[in-house]
Amino acid sequence: MKLFITGATGFVGRFVVRSALDRGHSVRAMARNGNDLSKYAWANHANVELSRVDLRSRRGLVDALVGVDAVIHLAAAKSGDIYAQFAGTVVATENLLWAMSEAKLKRLVHCSTFSVYDYTRAKAGSVLTEETPIEIDGFDRDEYAQTKLVQERLVRQFGDAGNEVTILRPGVIWGTDNWFTARIGMSAGERRWVKFGGSQILPLTYVENCAEALVLAAEKSEAIGQTLNVIDDEMPSVRQYCRRVPPRLSPVPKTHYVPYWFMRAFAGSVAGFNRIFLNNHAKVPGIFATAKLVARCKPLRYSNARIKQVLGWTPRYDFEKSLARSVA
Amino acid sequence: MNPTVTKLKSAVIGTGKISEEHLRFLSSCPLVSLEGVCDLSPSLAQYATRRFGAKHWFTDHQKMLAEVKPDVVHILTPATSHVKLATDCLNAGTHVIVEKPIAMNRAEFAQLWELAQSKHRVLIEDHNYRYNEPIQQIQSLVQSGRLGEIREVEVRMNLAIRAEGGRYMDRSLPNPAHQYPCGVIHEFITHLCYLTLAFMPDKIDTIKCAWRKHGTDDVFKYDDLDALVIAGPVHGRIRYASDTAPDCFIVSVHGDKGSVSTDLFLPHLRLNVARAGGKQLSPLVNHWCNGWELIRSSMGNFRNKVMQKSPYEGLQTFMHMAYTAIAQGTPLPVTFNDMDQTILLIDSLLDEANRI
Repeated sequence: MKLFITGATGFVGRFVVRSALDRGHSVRAMARNGNDLSKYAWANHANVELSRVDLRSRRGLVDALVGVDAVIHLAAAKSGDIYAQFAGTVVATENLLWAMSEAKLKRLVHCSTFSVYDYTRAKAGSVLTEETPIEIDGFDRDEYAQTKLVQERLVRQFGDAGNEVTILRPGVIWGTDNWFTARIGMSAGERRWVKFGGSQILPLTYVENCAEALVLAAEKSEAIGQTLNVIDDEMPSVRQYCRRVPPRLSPVPKTHYVPYWFMRAFAGSVAGFNRIFLNNHAKVPGIFATAKLVARCKPLRYSNARIKQVLGWTPRYDFEKSLARSVA
Repeated sequence: MNPTVTKLKSAVIGTGKISEEHLRFLSSCPLVSLEGVCDLSPSLAQYATRRFGAKHWFTDHQKMLAEVKPDVVHILTPATSHVKLATDCLNAGTHVIVEKPIAMNRAEFAQLWELAQSKHRVLIEDHNYRYNEPIQQIQSLVQSGRLGEIREVEVRMNLAIRAEGGRYMDRSLPNPAHQYPCGVIHEFITHLCYLTLAFMPDKIDTIKCAWRKHGTDDVFKYDDLDALVIAGPVHGRIRYASDTAPDCFIVSVHGDKGSVSTDLFLPHLRLNVARAGGKQLSPLVNHWCNGWELIRSSMGNFRNKVMQKSPYEGLQTFMHMAYTAIAQGTPLPVTFNDMDQTILLIDSLLDEANRI
């Protein structure tokens, strides 16, 4: 297959390109002007073409899709205010879907996220699956969750219009340079991690495992019309993760512990004070906002049964091998 | 408000960052019914509609004008589109509030004004910082005569926007502001000019300025501006820099009896005037008073940050005055002369580009 991969130079994208090449596909890798590609081993691979387009603009997009069999859409903005993230995530997706329609290209694998789920409605201790309700607007969630929600809605509409869409929702994608996740709690630079609780399970997927799942989804016709959660078999608790990962890092971060129940109670008190005395006008840090806190740290269980059934996917690397590959 | 008074039907074109301030006002003002939101991106238009409770969303402004028939339209798009959109709105019979700069030059503004006059509609440019509390306090001090005769006005804006990865240093998709006559400075120059003119006599005698570029990039047209504007006995200084930190927006006014300054990004008022205690003790009393003011302001600024009161606070006052004027015929917060003199000064500064 010839795959058009958006966000090819991102944390996940560079592994998706490699995985696609390993599986015998040719790749048209999308990269913005100014991105230095010399650090990627695949940049000069015979089966890789570079496409210097920017999804925030429609210029050159239709031409970039000529001859392509499927798109793996990874591009999204993870930082900046809501407007910057809207441009990099939502407007970018509007433009991509427009270009796919113009180019009469139907096959799309979209990389969504666990952030779209409605964690306030999910019962503590329950199993989060693809059927768990997602947020409606997510106005009380962070910018990333809000924009990824709108993005997934657009992709779903594209599928409803007769196109061949697969939506993958990875859990926490981890690997080199992506060690800390907000699901642990909060970090103060590289040197201090604060755990909010310790027993809750982390829905991890190692970046190379996740990349392979995305490519598999493009290959398999059984995946069309499906929404699949991507998580590895081995999911450590926050406590286990903090015991195994930080000692392998340099500098070694110190970890501190705050009970999750205390954070919930504190966030609840802040919300009550804001509602009663400040008419909900105060903006509080995410860790003190209930909807954001529970999205990060609510204790839940997770299942990867459906993706295994539909794609026949098995995570190639277990936790220890993933860690060894990441720190190597 | 009298419940029998009909609300003004409002609509917004453009849902970028500044729209948040306009929409927050429109969704809470009792004079207004927020009827429509328009953006080229349907997702952005829908997002703003749901978040701020507008009634309809559009991706075509002509369709919105025809279907909603708004009384007032806010134009919040990139500046090069302002004249075209404002012309369409005026021709559709709406009042128009336009983000700065209202037009790219004075000739364009004159045409737009003529159209507004012929249609008997309000045309007004957002001069929001004039209505920030510290600027209002400075104006009160000037009017009270406490500073004496004004001799110097300085307006300085420093924004560290040349940093890699910032919205103005995006090489892949350069910000449209880089194509404006002043480059990215055109995004901010209207604020600098109307604030300077607010404390100066009407007739400008002399303008000298330097527009400079220090970086070797091909993105920025100019990095800084240093302008001297003289009107009678008053010297005005306009300074802008894209490569200094931290960000600040300082307005200073010096008279022959005292001086006052503020930073609109971290509001406080530093006032040096004759105090009780006479000439000998006034410097010390000023020092104490300003120290206390700094402590008080730092607590107030923390509260403002938590309560989401941003440096755009003047926009709420400006719009309330604009809507009251449209609804009840009271004076507009920004007059033709304010807008005309501001755009004339911008044109004049550009005429002087690179002469130093």
